[in-house]
Amino acid sequence: MRFLAKAARKSPWIYRINAGSCNGCDVELATTACIPRYDIERLGCQYCGSPKHADIILITGPVTVGVKDKLLRVYAQVPEPKVTVAVGICPISGGVFRESYSIAGPLDQFVPVDVNVPGCPPRPQAIIEGLALAIEIWGERAEAAA
Amino acid sequence: MTEIVLRILSAVLIFPGGVFAIALGLLLKGVERRLVARLQRRIGPPLLQPFYDLAKLMQKETFVPDLADAGLFLLTPMIGVASMSVAMALLPMAGVYTPSAALGDLIILFYLISLPALALMLSGSASGSPFGALGFSREMAMMLAYEGPILLVIVSVALYVGQATGGGVTFDLVTIVRYQINHGPLLLEWRLAPALLAYLAFIPANLGMPPFDIPEAETELAEGPLLEYSGSSLGLLKLGAAIKAVVVTALGITLFWPNGPAGVAGVLVFIAKHMLVVGGLALLKAGVGRMRIDQAVLFYLKWPMLLGGVALVAVRA
Ligand code: SF4
Repeated sequence: MRFLAKAARKSPWIYRINAGSCNGCDVELATTACIPRYDIERLGCQYCGSPKHADIILITGPVTVGVKDKLLRVYAQVPEPKVTVAVGICPISGGVFRESYSIAGPLDQFVPVDVNVPGCPPRPQAIIEGLALAIEIWGERAEAAA
Repeated sequence: MTEIVLRILSAVLIFPGGVFAIALGLLLKGVERRLVARLQRRIGPPLLQPFYDLAKLMQKETFVPDLADAGLFLLTPMIGVASMSVAMALLPMAGVYTPSAALGDLIILFYLISLPALALMLSGSASGSPFGALGFSREMAMMLAYEGPILLVIVSVALYVGQATGGGVTFDLVTIVRYQINHGPLLLEWRLAPALLAYLAFIPANLGMPPFDIPEAETELAEGPLLEYSGSSLGLLKLGAAIKAVVVTALGITLFWPNGPAGVAGVLVFIAKHMLVVGGLALLKAGVGRMRIDQAVLFYLKWPMLLGGVALVAVRA
């Protein structure tokens, strides 16, 4: 079964959740860092339409009060093993929305965060580096689970 | 008796169905993804990426949604893989493999090829998700649109070979292949050219490839019927899709261009023909966007249907 785990390392599928982001991070993430130009498919990545297919979850935004329950519900639908990446300063500390009455975050109160990619918004290169770190962690988890 | 059973079993499970079809299907998928990447000027995933994906999916957790009909939900992915393995065993490979007559003919094959789409519809409706239900209705509309033309194509070829070999219509695949080996491939027969075009148009629709990947549209339907699947059952669905790609192309090869040398070289030629089709599909995938469901249905009811009809009339005349 070792080789199965080795293969899993090469197939991290990604899913992104917008937890109340201002959309700045989403633009950097979805339309700059993860488009064909930077070719993350090289690493075996593939965008998923469904959280149930995903291995790595990229979360943007400060986790607003309204989105918190939905975020947790979607998060629970990602099958184990999984890796979480917080993209942007918002999910890490609340960023510019910090201490706002409508914010429930930061993210790590609710879900275990494995990689933080700070920035407002982070550069595409930073996001891809965060993704590369996440893939390392994903590989270890997949091997541990096998 | 046992000998025939053993032969059929090995054909379904090892070659050309089962193991061989799975390996070829996944490899072709990898080639296609790589080609699309190259067409977009990037490096693309490793050639063996679909194998890695499958190995990964087999290790993940498998969920069954609360609203789903659990038995049906878990059963339908297996139907796809099983029916396609049997379908593969029905298709002769010139000089390499001749299916046993006990297995069946073109008509059985036609039913087997519709099975995965039916299974996918069932998956969509059994999953209890509104996206799945939408995917179900789109898959159904697509099927109604492309089944007609493909039937015309099959009947045209059957009629052509039947007339040439002296008796009405022949649905026997071995006869069709033998006729082409003796008289040259039907690819070069002008009266069947419309049928060939209609068949080529049928391939992307049946395989759910752009511009006809409407039932599984991941951008607006979140992959429709596949949405609720995870882990090993999703892996089985992907596996079924990969084998289906091999079967549908192989049927095209059988109907229009089965000629090839015997032995291992024959298998290589067979794979090379598959590569041609995969190249075309990759071009389509990189080059066009998705159609709307009404556009696609109209397209099929207009052009491939017309082409199929023309072929039938031309062969009959
Ligand atoms: S980190 Fe900045 S860009 Fe990103 S969602 Fe927060 S405010 Fe917007």
